[in-house]
Amino acid sequence: MENLAQTVMDKLKTWARVNSPWAIHFNSGSCNGCDIEILATLTPRYDVERFGIKLQGSPRHADVLICTGPVTLQARDRLLRIYEQMPEPKFVVAVGSCGISGGVFQGCYNVVGDISEVIPVNVYIPGCPPRPEAIIHGIVELLKSLQK
Amino acid sequence: MNITFPSLIALLLFPGGLFLLGSGLFFEYLDRKLVARFQNRIGPRWFQPLADFIKLLAKEEVIPAGTIKSLFILLPIFALAAALTAALSVPLFGFKPVFSYNGDLIVTLYLLSMMTLCIGLAGANTEDRFSIVGATRALTQLFSYEAPFLLAMLGPAIALGTWNISLINQGATQQSLWFIVSQPIGFLAALIGLMGKLELPPFDAPEAETEIVAGALTEYSGRGFGLFKIGRDIELVVGLTLIASFYLGGFSTPLDFLWKVFVLLLITAALQSLFARLRIDQTVGLWWRIGAILVLCQLVLIIVGNTLSPFIAPLLGG
Repeated sequence: MENLAQTVMDKLKTWARVNSPWAIHFNSGSCNGCDIEILATLTPRYDVERFGIKLQGSPRHADVLICTGPVTLQARDRLLRIYEQMPEPKFVVAVGSCGISGGVFQGCYNVVGDISEVIPVNVYIPGCPPRPEAIIHGIVELLKSLQK
Repeated sequence: MNITFPSLIALLLFPGGLFLLGSGLFFEYLDRKLVARFQNRIGPRWFQPLADFIKLLAKEEVIPAGTIKSLFILLPIFALAAALTAALSVPLFGFKPVFSYNGDLIVTLYLLSMMTLCIGLAGANTEDRFSIVGATRALTQLFSYEAPFLLAMLGPAIALGTWNISLINQGATQQSLWFIVSQPIGFLAALIGLMGKLELPPFDAPEAETEIVAGALTEYSGRGFGLFKIGRDIELVVGLTLIASFYLGGFSTPLDFLWKVFVLLLITAALQSLFARLRIDQTVGLWWRIGAILVLCQLVLIIVGNTLSPFIAPLLGG
């Protein structure tokens, strides 16, 4: 009986999490290309509120950290801080080639490297920059992985 | 409808309690959907507010350093409790209110303000600068809309000579002319005051995410934020019920309630998508320079009309 209640509660929690991913957007040193695409994703044309995705101002309210660009030496501490300010459970989505490998900025004197060197990343979205459809697809993949 | 429920059922299930929470979530959905449709979007799915609420309840609650812990935990509960209590003397869904006594109008209006006070305290409680700016703005806004809103709600009360909400509702049903026609300024002030209370656009300066992150609730995560959110939804239901029963000719059946409240919700959603955010000084200026004076003039006219009507009525042959 207790087991049944536990599974029902877990299912309910997963259902709520999958259907209400609130996002926060952070640029850790990107050229702004990916950021413009993320903003395009949030316009009425794509209307991600259909899936319950909402852009939040405060990291305390967010579930998904959408990160763009390589991590610069200056942005490293800020990225870590924002990640730590988010309450559990939290997920990270790296958008763009630079977030995956450092891209064209790899090896620069002021660049730490890609995002996974600083914080754990759940989903990578390739592209330079990725189209809004690709970003939505990436988020959907993240939500699918939550259901398992 | 003159059905009286046993008080325990009325408090916990219907029309208060659980049903009220559910309808709060449903009203939030309707509001978001209408705004989305006005913006040419498809908008959220019907269970969206429920999913948001459950997710927030299941999330970790971070209690930041430098806050008074007990206050941090208690404030959201207090805000939700005040909103739920405010619903007790309001004719929800066209049924008779659970508790009805003379002067419950004033008690209900002050219980509705508790939410803003709690949000202000919650913001001032944390060390975060965005929270403090948000709290200051929330309280400044409270001081600007509170007086005109109260005066606007007093208009029908004074015209009918009773400060009991359910009696005003009954009186409004028997009036030949709806109060929206005889007191249009009061109706506008009440509706816009409610939008200010709920910090809906264009009065969302206290939580302007482009300037101050999320205002007073910046540091709230998980359960606290969820409780504040659902408290605000319930305030939306209670506030719309009050305005509809006072100004739209009252209601005695659930069907009457539904269409009147939905018309009001449609108007608020349209106003939300029409206007851009006002600066905090513009909000204060709007209320004190225009709103308060107009409502005050109308109140004086109502009182003069009430005192003179016994003398004038025989002259008109009425």
